[in-house]
Amino acid sequence: MTTRRGFLASLLAASTMPRLSWADAGNPAYLSAAREGDGGYALFGLSETGADVFRIPLPGRGHAATAHPTAPEAVAFARRPGTFALVIDCVTGHVAHRLESPSGRHFYGHGAFVAGGDILCTTENDIDSGEGRIGFWSRREGYARIGEIASGGIGPHEILALPGDVLAVANGGIRTHPSRGRDKLNIPEMRPNLAYARVSGVEEVVELDPDLHLASIRHLASDGTTVGFAMQWQGDLPDPAPLLGLHRRGSAPVLCSADLAEQMAMQGYAGSIAMTGDLVGITSPRGGRVHLFGLDGAFRAALRRADVCGLASRGAALLATDGLGGVLSLASDRMEPLRVAPRAWDNHLVRIV
Amino acid sequence: MKHLTLASLILSLGCAAPLSAGVPEAVQDHALPAVQSFAVQARALAVNAAADCTAAAVIPSYHNAFDAWLGLAHLGFGPLETDGRALTIAFWPDKRGMVASTVARLVADQDAAVADAGEFAQVSIAGRGLFALERLLFDPEYAGYGREDYSCRLVAAIAGDLDQMAGAIAADWSDEAAALLSAGEEGNTRYLNDAEAAQRLYTALLAGLEFVADQRLGRPLGTFDRPRPERAEARRSDRSLRNVTLSISALSDLAQALSTAPTPVTDQAFADALDEARALDDPIFDGVSDPSGRLRVEILQQRVQAIRTAVSAEIGAQLGVGTGFNSADGD
Repeated sequence: MTTRRGFLASLLAASTMPRLSWADAGNPAYLSAAREGDGGYALFGLSETGADVFRIPLPGRGHAATAHPTAPEAVAFARRPGTFALVIDCVTGHVAHRLESPSGRHFYGHGAFVAGGDILCTTENDIDSGEGRIGFWSRREGYARIGEIASGGIGPHEILALPGDVLAVANGGIRTHPSRGRDKLNIPEMRPNLAYARVSGVEEVVELDPDLHLASIRHLASDGTTVGFAMQWQGDLPDPAPLLGLHRRGSAPVLCSADLAEQMAMQGYAGSIAMTGDLVGITSPRGGRVHLFGLDGAFRAALRRADVCGLASRGAALLATDGLGGVLSLASDRMEPLRVAPRAWDNHLVRIV
Repeated sequence: MKHLTLASLILSLGCAAPLSAGVPEAVQDHALPAVQSFAVQARALAVNAAADCTAAAVIPSYHNAFDAWLGLAHLGFGPLETDGRALTIAFWPDKRGMVASTVARLVADQDAAVADAGEFAQVSIAGRGLFALERLLFDPEYAGYGREDYSCRLVAAIAGDLDQMAGAIAADWSDEAAALLSAGEEGNTRYLNDAEAAQRLYTALLAGLEFVADQRLGRPLGTFDRPRPERAEARRSDRSLRNVTLSISALSDLAQALSTAPTPVTDQAFADALDEARALDDPIFDGVSDPSGRLRVEILQQRVQAIRTAVSAEIGAQLGVGTGFNSADGD
């Protein structure tokens, strides 16, 4: 007679690889890196209301984390021009893999999973030519490097997986070289774009009017149909240049601006973008405000909060994080603080699918 | 708190809950008097312009209002942000020449909005505020306008609009003061703990110093090869250096109020910068075009940058706050 205990034991023995899910890591809804009170850094898993689910120490300040769609794994990128990324097992808190960028490359700080989570895509700089690359890594093979394509521009920053394993890539247009730190080497000639790619290569490149060539396209959000792109103005400030664009493949991009005073108050800088329902938001830590627009491009509201940067969807609303430790829920016309954590939330709040 | 006048609010502060040291002083001794002063001067400007809108009659109160604005302008958060008020009151820097084009358009069209305060509040912000007023009062293009001219009515409309905004700022500052002083208390959604209130004022102090160094001094300095004296702030009304001096004084006042212990390095840095500014005989920074004159303005700029360093080391440490984690270092 098979006992329950014996059945479970044989089941475990039969499976070659334990299949853990995000539930095993406490069901976090979000990931965010933070600087803690003692000056150290850590990656946090957060609940729907911003409560701590887990905390994993990091060796230094990271940039964005990329969450695996099903397995409790987070890829934490070093800040650019970093040459490594850590695949963190969010159940044990251990580093499961360490990705080194190939020789002559460095990471730009963002990644995305395609092929049901089997392939990690990373934005990279080919240092000698300055051309952007998208690197591919096989999760099944222990995150081995398996290939790459051109990103379709210079300085690819955020990369987003769309339905059908299409990738949206924000080619920020800014050339950097590790020997010059984060110095911007080509501002007068920069030409950012939004590119769409598959693992086989770039399919479509969208550029704005030449008079907006100083608007670096850096961060992305999508509802699967519309891609929102957030920009950072590289020209003289103050300037009312648009910082948000909405694009559907095959159509012309729609640029979104608030009224003159509000637009200038963003300080030419959008740090993160998120989309939910018919709402899209961009944050400006420098301007201390979040701008909300409808998917029709119409300005909805400005919500003020110092040093606000992280932004992700939360049902029909948005969730924002800031450098003062605040976690805030944003609706189309108001901001509700949910909690204040004793730490400075870093640039990005990442929704786990 | 809406019904409290500023005066009664000031009196009621004695019973406020314990707060991050420095915040009550900065609110009570610095912010509220500055708000009040600007409201008084903007009212005087509006009353005088309504009585006589010719340039000779309006210019003295224009200067008084501008002086008072410099006592407040660095508190750019909250009430000054609502409806873009700070930028409407002082649309500068104006890289694209929007003040000139908007004023020219209003005058050319004889825009009827001047007849109605509510309608005038809908005019493009570049056509309102102190810089639109400066253009009408001082620019040769409009100089000598007569009592019956459209320009005269526009001057009165701008003055009235400034008065409206100053009044709205004063009303909103009652709420803002209450929010700063009740930081971290139940129901306060603006400042979630004491540190946030201190951080808000501290950030305003640093941003104010940065604005003086980078914009008020940095814009006319341009580069050594290409100095840009024509970019000096309020040069038409000979106010460029005066604005710098008054700004530094106001920021010194805020630093004094906000600090919770002696700040000898900061005090010295402010004194050095003010000495340098008072010794500079270059009211609109015309000197940036020749090497020795340029050096003087550069030295003043360095003095202001030195204040920023001192403030970070002394007051930032006292308050336990720093610059914004994300605003200072984004990606």
